[in-house]
Amino acid sequence: MEIQSCVKIINEWDIVAARQLGRNVAKELGFGVVDQARITTAISELARNIYLYAGQGQVCIEKIYDGAKAGLRIVASDSGPGISDIRQVMEDGYSTSGGLGAGLPGVKRLMDEFNIESSSGNGTKIITTKWIR
Amino acid sequence: MDFREMMESKYRDILEKYITEQSEQALYQGQKFSRKSIENKISPEELISLHKLSLTNMYPDLSKEVIDSFDILLEVMLGYGLAYREHQSLRHKQQELRTEMEIAANVQQTLLGTTIPTVDCLDIGAISVPAKHMNGDYYHFVKDEHNHISIAIADVIGKGIPAALCMSMIKYAMDSLPGSQHEPKLVLENINRVVEQNVDPSMFITMFFGMYNTSNHTFTYSSAGHEPGFYYHAAKDEFTEIEAKGLLLGVDKKTKYAQYEKAIEIDDMIILMSDGVTECRSDEGFIEKETLITYIKKYIHLSAQEIVNSLFKEIERLQHFELRDDFTLIILKRKV
Amino acid sequence: MNIKIDVIENDHSVEAKVSGEIDVYTAPKVRETLFPISEREGITLRVDLTDVSYMDSTGLGVFVGIFKNIRAHNGTFQLRGLSDRLKRLFEITGLADIIDINCQNEVE
Repeated sequence: MEIQSCVKIINEWDIVAARQLGRNVAKELGFGVVDQARITTAISELARNIYLYAGQGQVCIEKIYDGAKAGLRIVASDSGPGISDIRQVMEDGYSTSGGLGAGLPGVKRLMDEFNIESSSGNGTKIITTKWIR
Repeated sequence: MDFREMMESKYRDILEKYITEQSEQALYQGQKFSRKSIENKISPEELISLHKLSLTNMYPDLSKEVIDSFDILLEVMLGYGLAYREHQSLRHKQQELRTEMEIAANVQQTLLGTTIPTVDCLDIGAISVPAKHMNGDYYHFVKDEHNHISIAIADVIGKGIPAALCMSMIKYAMDSLPGSQHEPKLVLENINRVVEQNVDPSMFITMFFGMYNTSNHTFTYSSAGHEPGFYYHAAKDEFTEIEAKGLLLGVDKKTKYAQYEKAIEIDDMIILMSDGVTECRSDEGFIEKETLITYIKKYIHLSAQEIVNSLFKEIERLQHFELRDDFTLIILKRKV
Repeated sequence: MNIKIDVIENDHSVEAKVSGEIDVYTAPKVRETLFPISEREGITLRVDLTDVSYMDSTGLGVFVGIFKNIRAHNGTFQLRGLSDRLKRLFEITGLADIIDINCQNEVE
């Protein structure tokens, strides 16, 4: 496990800070331009969700290694209202139909691994990873 | 070779060709390339990146501003790429739903299946075609121990899955009637109570129930708001509407139904249908009863099954092969 | 497929005028507009169908639903301006016997 850097998400500008952090780490790890853009878009999406629905929370970025493989992990957590029906928000067309952006299915597509823990009233924690190909 | 491996050089070739010639041919190659890259699931952002890379390789002196501008384009196209992939996945799901629906339609077919009974004195023909996959019309024949034939025909308002679900309920309500229960008005009163209890207030069902007594050739029937059929009196060569009044099923649980009786002579016909038959609209407006009668007359020399098949074909053509509602037509012809 | 529903509210009654075609596409709009009215205790709802050029069984279903709801809330439901075709539809379905389809009263 490597050092973890976090950005608190309180207002919209923090989304940019989280993106910047993610891009820097992705560059350091040697991700290509396209993957850098994918990672930052995923960060944007997660940070925006925190900003819009939870009010505040944080996005942490860490470098991870698995044998010879290197990757970037995003951990987005908040103590907001939580999601009561995870299946529904993970369904294509659910959040996008309201024009809310890529939504969680989008984040899942941009990354390689995706895990979500949430329950009504207990906040949400999303952990998602991308490996260098 | 794998498309991904060769796409870089391929794209560069096309780009170079176009920049030198600005020809339609190079553009056409670009179009073909796009088809190939969609096939190979290359996302828009990857293509922007490829374009940027090719340009930097081809023109090492290209201004930084131009090169940097692609970062914005890439960011913007990323969203389109996601939308595209979501679209693909939704399309896949739609395909799954369609398959499920086809299976459901088969299940329904089995569930509602009825065989046309054979009795010496009657020639019976029946056709029922759903507007979509699932049928909201229902018809059922029963031959009892005295060789009397009962016919139930019902039409659920609307079409598609809700109507089909409702129809299954009718089917079970009919199946659970006491075996001896063939008195039309009592059948309808029974079914009406079931429907009233189990159906949404804005949903309703029309139903016609008739019993043909093969010993004395009388047809006893009752109707719950069902489109009246026709009676063909062969001796006079005359069509009349079958007179039957009664409230739709499911409106009032205390509804009592009137029962009617008609003597049937040799070569006479009883024609029953769902409102999909008369409610269908053609270019000239509704299909009027007269039109329907004209068609029946045209095919009257045929067997009952051939008449209903031919009638359906005619009406299908009138509607340009687009059924707006489920269609059910039944003909009973007294032979001897 | 256009439909217009004008609603005039009086003290104890509501007058609604529907214009256009009532079919599977427009029936939900009729339901949305008139259903809340039918929930009011003791309401008199009059619906004018003079300018309805076409109504299919889905439309009929909406009116049956409204009728049942009004009856459950001790109200009165009246229809007027039915074309011959619509009258026949109400007669075949037996609804003409339980719903007043020949209401002549003007709005008070």
